[in-house]
Amino acid sequence: MSEQDRPPIFGTWRKAYAFAIALFAIEVALLYAFTLRFS
Amino acid sequence: MNRIDYFVLIATILAIPLYGLWRTWNHPNLREYLKGDKTIRWGTIGLSVLATQAGPITFLSMPGQAYESGIGFIQNYFGQPFALIAVCAIFVPIYQRLKVYTAYEYLGQRFDRKTRLLGAFLFLVQRGIAAGITIYAPAIILSALLGWDLNLTIWLAGGFVIAYTVVGGTKIVSLTQRYQILVILVGMALAFGIAVHRLPADLSFTDALSIAGKMGKLQAVDFSIDPSRRYTFWSGILGGFFLSLSYFGADQSQVQRYLAGGSLRASRIGLLFNAIVKVPMQFLILLLGAMVFLFYQFEKPPMFFNQPTYQRAIERGYGPQLTALQAQFDDVFTRKREAIQAMSNASAETSAALTTQVREFDTQARSIRDNTKKILEQAGASPKSKDSDYVFITFVIHHLPHGVVGLLVAVIFCATMSATSAVLNALGSTTAVDLYRPLIRPKASDHHYVIATKVLTAAWGLVAIAVASFASLVENLIEAGNILASVFYGSILGLFLVAFFLRKVCGSAVFFAAVIAQTIVLVLFCTSGIGYLWYNFIGCMAVLLFAWILQQTVFRNTQPPAVRSE
Repeated sequence: MSEQDRPPIFGTWRKAYAFAIALFAIEVALLYAFTLRFS
Repeated sequence: MNRIDYFVLIATILAIPLYGLWRTWNHPNLREYLKGDKTIRWGTIGLSVLATQAGPITFLSMPGQAYESGIGFIQNYFGQPFALIAVCAIFVPIYQRLKVYTAYEYLGQRFDRKTRLLGAFLFLVQRGIAAGITIYAPAIILSALLGWDLNLTIWLAGGFVIAYTVVGGTKIVSLTQRYQILVILVGMALAFGIAVHRLPADLSFTDALSIAGKMGKLQAVDFSIDPSRRYTFWSGILGGFFLSLSYFGADQSQVQRYLAGGSLRASRIGLLFNAIVKVPMQFLILLLGAMVFLFYQFEKPPMFFNQPTYQRAIERGYGPQLTALQAQFDDVFTRKREAIQAMSNASAETSAALTTQVREFDTQARSIRDNTKKILEQAGASPKSKDSDYVFITFVIHHLPHGVVGLLVAVIFCATMSATSAVLNALGSTTAVDLYRPLIRPKASDHHYVIATKVLTAAWGLVAIAVASFASLVENLIEAGNILASVFYGSILGLFLVAFFLRKVCGSAVFFAAVIAQTIVLVLFCTSGIGYLWYNFIGCMAVLLFAWILQQTVFRNTQPPAVRSE
């Protein structure tokens, strides 16, 4: 298998992925707060 | 539906594809037909990926799901952001760098031709059948409630999609999906607003949410580790991750969406857009279902939403039993409504007792509906999908103003057309690129392959319509679609994970591992009663395990080839 085919690491997009995960975490936190408030 | 509704419906479903045809009439080469041109940017890719996933079943069934079981289903999407990031980081760069047209072309470059054909074959079987179900599921519900001819509805939804997908290829699919999903979002937002507006005037939105919450409909997140609970945070993260990774990484109907345009950056931003918006979007659709539930606590709902089936049972002589149940249902409804009205004005002390009372009435109403279903089955009028699938469209037809009804029916058609066009585009491309070109005509002109892809796309469209015409043989349509995907996705994902992470495994080892894994899944499917979501995990793990074992034993002297650019 060649070098070209190796899965690349997160690289320069690391911040974008971290941002997406952070937003997702906020979404889940809001949903949990919604659950606690209305259940 | 009146003339205004039909005008809105026809104008909406015709205008978008006609605009798409105007924009994408000519395709000079295969690359543009299969991948579109560089004018496709991340916004179009993001909306296109969103539209491909959100088929008609999403908009018909999701509100009904919330009506029946609450909004906990949202947790099934919790694994998706992580899967999309994995696709952005691992799958997309490889596909873009190798300039493949299909995901299975990569398997050919990483392993060998037979593994590529196996991946393509598994995809074609699964998606070919699923495309038929995507057309049939909304057609059976709309034809039943609107009195339309079933076959005409199937041909209306399917025929038009085939025509524009064949002519415009990937670019028209992406372009039309962008506007179709916008129509869908506007329509659903309008339905949400009207559902809230139709609640009693003295009930604030917060009070409405409180009542829905007390009736157990608003538990969005459940951190329980009890395995008997159907939807939890943990099952959503784990199960949702595997399902989404298979779907976004190895299903050509999605791969083709984010490879459109050919820019790595646009593909990644489009996918990350989905990672961010999917959960809020599904939450609002489920919350709409909770609002419809609340609406039907004050406005008497039908005892059974699938009224054509109900009427059929009456015609077959089961009227007296159903009338007796209806009387019980009406009584329970009246008492429940009084208790809810009292609950909204009650003090903290009396509220708990009233909540218990309301929940008891709700359980009684559910039990009466279950008994109704049993009688319908005795009458031989067994419905083809769950009654909850009819909840939202019943609300739309009977309680929304004219014009909006037409728009919401157009939403269902737009969702059908956008999901089906993406699948047909992928089926035609995969058959042309992975089967026709390497096996039948390896050295033809570019123009020849464009024509071949168009013919094959049309042929798959006719297969989908044929499947839709025979889909009435399937007992539960929506479940059938999910089961079918789960049976095949595990093995397909396994092929790709071996390609990425087991670098010393050769083509023959992974090929036979996938054949063994798929056989195991099919045997389990036929003989065991395990939950179908497990097939994704079992199939994937079986491919990884058997590929490694076969490479260490039978194929220990065979090395994988270096990836080549074809």
